[in-house]
Amino acid sequence: MRPRWRSLDTIAPAVAFVGFVGGTPDPAFARPRPPATAASAPRVPAGGGPTQPRYRQCARGFRWWCCIPADETCTRSGPARLLLLSVGGLAVAGGVTSLFALGDSLGGDDPATLLLATGTVALAGAIAGAIAGRLGADRGAVPDRVRTETLGVTTGWGGTSVLDEHRPPSMLGHFAPTLRFSDGNSRLRLTGYVGGPLGRQTDVDPRPQVAMAASDRDGTAPTVRRQRGVWAGIGLDMAVALPYPVLSPRRSRFLGRAELRWKPDFHYRREFVEPGEHGERMAERAMLLPLTVGMRWHVSPRQRFTFYLGPRFDIVSIRGPGDAALRRGKAELGPMYAEVWYDIDIPLNSWPRIDGRPRRAVVNSQLSFAYIHSRFDGLGINFRAVVGFLGPAYVRWYIRIRPKHADVAVQATVGARIGGGFGLFGTVGLVLPDLRAKVRHGRFRR
Amino acid sequence: MMRRLAIGLAASIGLGLGTTCALPECSRPDYRMPECRVILENELARLRTPDGAEIRFQDPAATSAESWDARGLLAWRSTGVVHARVAGLGAFALSLRDVRPGLAVHVTNIDPRAQVAVHGAAGARTIAPRKGSLTREIELTAADASDVWIRGTTPCAPRFRLALTADIQTNPGQFRRILERLARDADEGEAQGEPLMGLLVAGDLSEWSRDEEFEHVESLGAQAVVPMATTAGNHDTFDRSRPFYSRRFGPGNHVFDLCDARVVLLDSGSGMLAASVEGRLPELLDRGDARHLLLGLHHPPYAALTGAGWTNEERAQWLLAEAALAGVDVIVTGHKHELRSYTDIDVGGARLWQIIVGTAGADQGLALPRYGYVRLTLGPEGRSACFVEVPPSGADEALRGGVPGLPACP
Repeated sequence: MRPRWRSLDTIAPAVAFVGFVGGTPDPAFARPRPPATAASAPRVPAGGGPTQPRYRQCARGFRWWCCIPADETCTRSGPARLLLLSVGGLAVAGGVTSLFALGDSLGGDDPATLLLATGTVALAGAIAGAIAGRLGADRGAVPDRVRTETLGVTTGWGGTSVLDEHRPPSMLGHFAPTLRFSDGNSRLRLTGYVGGPLGRQTDVDPRPQVAMAASDRDGTAPTVRRQRGVWAGIGLDMAVALPYPVLSPRRSRFLGRAELRWKPDFHYRREFVEPGEHGERMAERAMLLPLTVGMRWHVSPRQRFTFYLGPRFDIVSIRGPGDAALRRGKAELGPMYAEVWYDIDIPLNSWPRIDGRPRRAVVNSQLSFAYIHSRFDGLGINFRAVVGFLGPAYVRWYIRIRPKHADVAVQATVGARIGGGFGLFGTVGLVLPDLRAKVRHGRFRR
Repeated sequence: MMRRLAIGLAASIGLGLGTTCALPECSRPDYRMPECRVILENELARLRTPDGAEIRFQDPAATSAESWDARGLLAWRSTGVVHARVAGLGAFALSLRDVRPGLAVHVTNIDPRAQVAVHGAAGARTIAPRKGSLTREIELTAADASDVWIRGTTPCAPRFRLALTADIQTNPGQFRRILERLARDADEGEAQGEPLMGLLVAGDLSEWSRDEEFEHVESLGAQAVVPMATTAGNHDTFDRSRPFYSRRFGPGNHVFDLCDARVVLLDSGSGMLAASVEGRLPELLDRGDARHLLLGLHHPPYAALTGAGWTNEERAQWLLAEAALAGVDVIVTGHKHELRSYTDIDVGGARLWQIIVGTAGADQGLALPRYGYVRLTLGPEGRSACFVEVPPSGADEALRGGVPGLPACP
């Protein structure tokens, strides 16, 4: 583990993960729900209609049990979050039991830590979602809500507090064009990025005997390691919406829409390291995630729980200082790969202006927190002796600004990666219309 | 109002920047950080006594006392006595400067068969062993002069054995049984011309990083028939301000040459290596003339599906790359409280062999425990390994035996 500020060098890879691996969790429901009118908002479900629940407790005042007001289809976010809380609690209990009771000899460590982290995010999401709901977030879907930028640039802060060491900032360019399917609710997204640290990272040898030996350096430590690199990745992200309700309206509990997802990814790092005076060596590290599948649960029209899981394969190829060519490695089975996200949409200017004039732009934001079960880049979370089991956590705040009637929106993000300290990063990007949207609907989808 | 806000913002930024002023490494010690432990272990390999003597652990090949190397632990335990714990197995060297007659040096954790000599102005003076003891007590005399070296070597055989284990944690009682079993192994090996040269413990000697835990394990090790080379695990290094592991066992990053094997032990207690150690890997993993090159650390750099990985997998993969470039023959790890053998890890076309042997006593869960150690036999023809199961108290026979790649020893 590095000192707190030294860990900032890890944010650049973190950016790659947040921006692309995890991405902005992005639902298949790109088409904004039509804004509800007072007449159409089913504040108290009456039952009888094909999309109305048959429960009638709402009439007696159990508001948290009701359908979300102002949504075209019923979603009972209170029971949905209660279910998420219960599932999260069971996952945490299962993970803890597996880790500490079943133990190492039964070989369940990796799934157990994953279960524990997933359950924690679910619990935290259910609680944060309930608080947000009480504060007014339990309403209809936000039109033009935050999604992944089509084109963007992400910067990770560098810096170190260690004398004579250098941690450069990083920058990544990324893209994510989206193809909508004809059903309007499913889509395929191509994701990719390229970039890396904007300079060379250096580390010093702090051993007292070498600092004292270098008398011309006045006691400072000599450089012992230099590193630079390039990062790239490409992948797909496919989301297919399940019909809602899956069961007949009569049998459905109206606990929220669901999507199935498939997200094959390939991440590539080409890194050059000079250890002391021993000549530069190069390593190509690749992580293949061909079978990452997941699901998204729209716990409420403005809140989503997303989960991905899949096998991981690592390839390490190397070139030593005396080698003419790269020595290619083969794919080795790695630890399981997983992502867990909870997103809360927060519209920022949905209320009318004081002077009554129309707003010139729609401004929406989103709070996301996540856990990623991978330490391919950067540091994971450690707690006392619990070292090397968990991946990092992320917190991100997105803002999207779309001028009225514009096809292009601007989006910005600030975030932190939590693992071995904090790594801060920020993103700015443009959101372009989805492909094929115009063909089907006669206007660009947002 | 805006002006106040601007002033406040500027002050906040200034204060924020102020906290990031560059300072030398570990100026604010936090021994959970591997780099702080690197500094400490090197400082503890050098000692200046109250009467002005300078004692340093050295590379056995060194002839100059100008520098030193973290190959052991030096402590001033009581008036006139220097405690020198050798961290590795095989040859060792200590340089002493400005020594006054009467200074006593107790060199511990060395092979009872080791040949130890004091090299002073008057030539070499051999220190006789005490039967079965891992300690040599040396008293310097006027004839030794003020600048002397203490050197030790261990007799070698063409084939020899090393015992490998890790993860004692809450069960030092089981570790004691393992040490007792090692005594039998040493006798059998001696009879077969394959002497047991030592025990390698790949981390997690304690559960809570407490000194009394380390003291207990150290005292158990002092009763063993062979010396013990250790490195730190995650359970040994999570105390921010009290680096008891380093103060009790010395360096977590160290190398030693044992007969025709070079053994490199690295401190991965934080789930990663210190960057300075990574920068020195080509030097540390340089096998020279050694026939065998062994790498020991707590966290497996290849975790597979064990879940027992590194804090930063990038660093683990770089270690594998360096191991492949250096041609490491065996990687010995713990962390996972089980026995595993991965014989065919492909890194850049090279095939690496990694053993996970977290079987020294730590809790293994619901299944029947598999305690014991791996017996690694090194010889001109190569390397072979098998598992010596040491059943817990109350069990009179092996409970689980070996695993693929690590069969039970005959």
